[in-house]
Amino acid sequence: MTRLHALIAFVQRALGLSRRRHLNDDLDDELTFHLAMREAELVESGVTPADAAREARRRLGNRAVLREQSRDMWTFELMESTWRDVTYALRALWRAPGFAIVAILALSIGIGANTAVFTLVDALIVHGLPYAHADRLVVLIGNVERASVERRGNSYPDHLDWVKTATAFDGMAAYDSVTMTLERDEPIRIAAEGVSASYFDILGVGAARGRVFRPDEDQVEGRDRVVVLSDALWRSAFGADPGIVGRAIPLNGRSFEVVGVMPPGFTGVTDGALAWVPFVASGAALTSRGSRGFQTLARLKDGVTLAAAQTEMTTISKQLEAAYPETNEKRGVEVARLGPEILGDLQQSASLLMVAVALVLLIACANVANLLVSRSETRRREIAVRTALGAGQARLLRQLITESVVLAALGAIGGLVVAYGVLRLLISTSPVALPSFATPSLNLTVMIFTILVALLTGVLLGLAPAMHARLTRLADALKSSARGSSGGASRHTRGALVIAEVALTVVLVVGAGLMIRAVKNVNAIAPGYDANGVLTLNVTIPRLPAPATPGPPATSTPPPLVITSRALVARLAEISGVTRAAIGTDRPLGGASAVFYEAEGHPVESAQSRPRSYVHMVSPGFFDTYGIAFRAGRTFTDNELNPDSTAVIVSENMVARFWPGESPIGKRVRFGGPTAPWGEIVGVVPATKYRGLPDNPTADPDMFLPMVDRSSYVVAVRSTLPMASVESSVRRAIREAVPGAVIFGVTPLSEAVAQQTESSRFTTWVLGVFAAIALGLAAIGLYGVMAYLVSQRKREFGIRLALGAGSAEIVGLVMRHGLTMVGIGVAVGGAASVLLARWLSTLLFAVPAADPAGPLAVLVLIVVAVLACAVPAFRATRVDPVSALRNE
Amino acid sequence: MGDTRSGGGDFLPGTLDMLVLKSLSHGERHGYDIAKFIQRASDEVLRVEEGALYPALHRLEVRGWLRATWGVSDNNRRAKFYRLSALGRRELDRESEYWTRVAAAVTRVMRAT
Repeated sequence: MTRLHALIAFVQRALGLSRRRHLNDDLDDELTFHLAMREAELVESGVTPADAAREARRRLGNRAVLREQSRDMWTFELMESTWRDVTYALRALWRAPGFAIVAILALSIGIGANTAVFTLVDALIVHGLPYAHADRLVVLIGNVERASVERRGNSYPDHLDWVKTATAFDGMAAYDSVTMTLERDEPIRIAAEGVSASYFDILGVGAARGRVFRPDEDQVEGRDRVVVLSDALWRSAFGADPGIVGRAIPLNGRSFEVVGVMPPGFTGVTDGALAWVPFVASGAALTSRGSRGFQTLARLKDGVTLAAAQTEMTTISKQLEAAYPETNEKRGVEVARLGPEILGDLQQSASLLMVAVALVLLIACANVANLLVSRSETRRREIAVRTALGAGQARLLRQLITESVVLAALGAIGGLVVAYGVLRLLISTSPVALPSFATPSLNLTVMIFTILVALLTGVLLGLAPAMHARLTRLADALKSSARGSSGGASRHTRGALVIAEVALTVVLVVGAGLMIRAVKNVNAIAPGYDANGVLTLNVTIPRLPAPATPGPPATSTPPPLVITSRALVARLAEISGVTRAAIGTDRPLGGASAVFYEAEGHPVESAQSRPRSYVHMVSPGFFDTYGIAFRAGRTFTDNELNPDSTAVIVSENMVARFWPGESPIGKRVRFGGPTAPWGEIVGVVPATKYRGLPDNPTADPDMFLPMVDRSSYVVAVRSTLPMASVESSVRRAIREAVPGAVIFGVTPLSEAVAQQTESSRFTTWVLGVFAAIALGLAAIGLYGVMAYLVSQRKREFGIRLALGAGSAEIVGLVMRHGLTMVGIGVAVGGAASVLLARWLSTLLFAVPAADPAGPLAVLVLIVVAVLACAVPAFRATRVDPVSALRNE
Repeated sequence: MGDTRSGGGDFLPGTLDMLVLKSLSHGERHGYDIAKFIQRASDEVLRVEEGALYPALHRLEVRGWLRATWGVSDNNRRAKFYRLSALGRRELDRESEYWTRVAAAVTRVMRAT
């Protein structure tokens, strides 16, 4: 503790901080003394004490002004001497260009990497969401407590009760993402949001043209045919028509009046919406608490904490559960901050990268500190002379720190250049799409960050040689000769720095290795289907265009059954290059819906264990096309493709739950209540990762039913040709078979798979780059120190060689020294990375706490280290004994 | 006592510094003592404006012409004592030589007919 205090006092003195504080006290004391003297004199001459005090103060004038004048003088002096130090430092660097270039380069890389990553952090975490009061925005997500708590949507009656009873919020708005078809010559599908009128107010965003929704527009059915356009859609689809507000546009076969256009960049909380329509519950959803789908956006009242809001919502949920046990048993609400909901993974990645680049900077610092120590060795005499001429130690320390701050400042300038390049590289090669509102740029916040980092770096760097200088006791330098043997202390300082550097590199390299391994593990997970070579296309048949006279709402007319699956599949199979084709209501990783079902002979025991399954309707070729193998039974036959068919294909985990060890074929399941007909299992497929990678969000099984005609579905083709080359012929085939079809969401399945792991892949890629930089820096540092040591021991080697030592002996001597440092560094870093691995494995999926990647990475480091030592070691053998000795 | 003219106006510019240096030429004094000394030595003609004295002392200290230490005054109070540094002594010599020349010159001009 006292050592720490001493250090702080030392630094303060060096920076002239303590002096200024003392100065104020001093001045006060001095003036008080003066007043007392004057008062005493006046009293002696016969003035009353009160008058004397007043007169004394009057003569002295305003103390605050005096204090200010005095302080200004010292500040000026401090600035002037700092300027002298800066110019002195620049001259010193100019005189040692080799040292300056290496040091500035290392710092540029370190500071640049930090700046680049901080720019991401700034865009994602500091700036965050582009809404007023973004920190108070939350999402209310209905959940259910089953084996684990699972997120679900909210029901409209529940939502209304929350709006009525909850007091923790400034406002609530229902929102749901919807896709709409904008009818034109070439109809397009657009992502939109159905939102309550209060939605825009909660986000604090108004329309750029026209208006947003009026409070009554989300209340009354039939009044909901209004739409707010995004700036992007207004420009792309309507040519930025200034008269758009008030115009009617055809959406989903009906006519909607455009009431407003949002400002550029506003994409809604789903960060992709092109239009907004009022959220209006209708039909059964209006009254059914069991029908859940959407989420609720809310803004916390000023000063209300998340925890308080959560407590209130839990209380309300309990009340609703008591009032409506049928539908609300075990139903709760999760109050989640909007920011992490949108940015979750990216924020984590950014934080992880920040840690990594901080390590890189520390390594760069260790490198430069090493150089500085070596330099201060050679400057010992200069420093000693200045000490003898009366420069105080604090003054010298300030000079050293100024020099390193100047160095760091130059590094920061280089760092900004590096950051600019790295940032562009990061963004252009990143497989992750950043949220539309996150625009990383080298803005003021980033600049301030860079300056702070540079200052901190400078002070740290300055302390290294200064501490070292204290160790070696400057005065001694005068006594010894200029080229005397380097002191043991300096060797220890340098050794410690190299060890620290190696240890940090080990941590970084092992960390990066683990991350890479984690991503490999995730990619190696067999999803149960073969994603390569599969192209999927979403197809929808829009409702007929709006009739001239407004007819009844389209929802009341059943969608026309316009396709026959068989015809379309047959047509697709004819395309050359397409080996398999299928259609289904959904695709792997494309979203699916669940139902509660019942297995024959297994009555439901409790709400929590009520069996649930995801249902997909598929054509017979579905399993072949996606490469899903059969464990038992068969796929559907063409004859089974009708609504009355009873055939069902289930995934293995359903069989394991109800009929372990038995043949599942012929067993019966049903869903839709006790009156629904039973379906008969005709086939069993493995439990695939159908709904998520690395794992399904819930452990529920999948159930496949024969495809019947639908107005929207997913087409899948397997092809041996590149995706791009089959896409156009598949599109054409669909158009021919299904006139008027809107095709959207064309995705190679492999891309959908890659998307699931993209954020961790991105992190890994960048971490790998940083680890490589760290490795390079460590190698340079090690090389530098070894080369320096060899040059210092030239005489010794010369003598050894003269006395008959072989080259091998000399090489061994140098290598032993270098590798001892590396060994200690690896040991320390290894211990630290075991802790790191444990932390990472709790943070990320599939990070093994112990993994061969670690030792492998260390091996790479050791090889690099051996090389870095070997070059100076062999140079040592080429010392000419005669010249080494004669140079004395 | 009732003199309200500003301190700077009492002296020619720069002369306060010189007078302060001079007052310290025979040893250390505290601020109050310096003011008294100048007043007394000038037969009460020059009165140091106290508000200007302390900034001047600190200015000279920053320039390195004065050294300051805390000590105890005659009446046993804690006071800040100033003394000349080597630099300050040289500065005093320079300024007094300059002053002598200028004063003599001014006197000659005033006496010229």
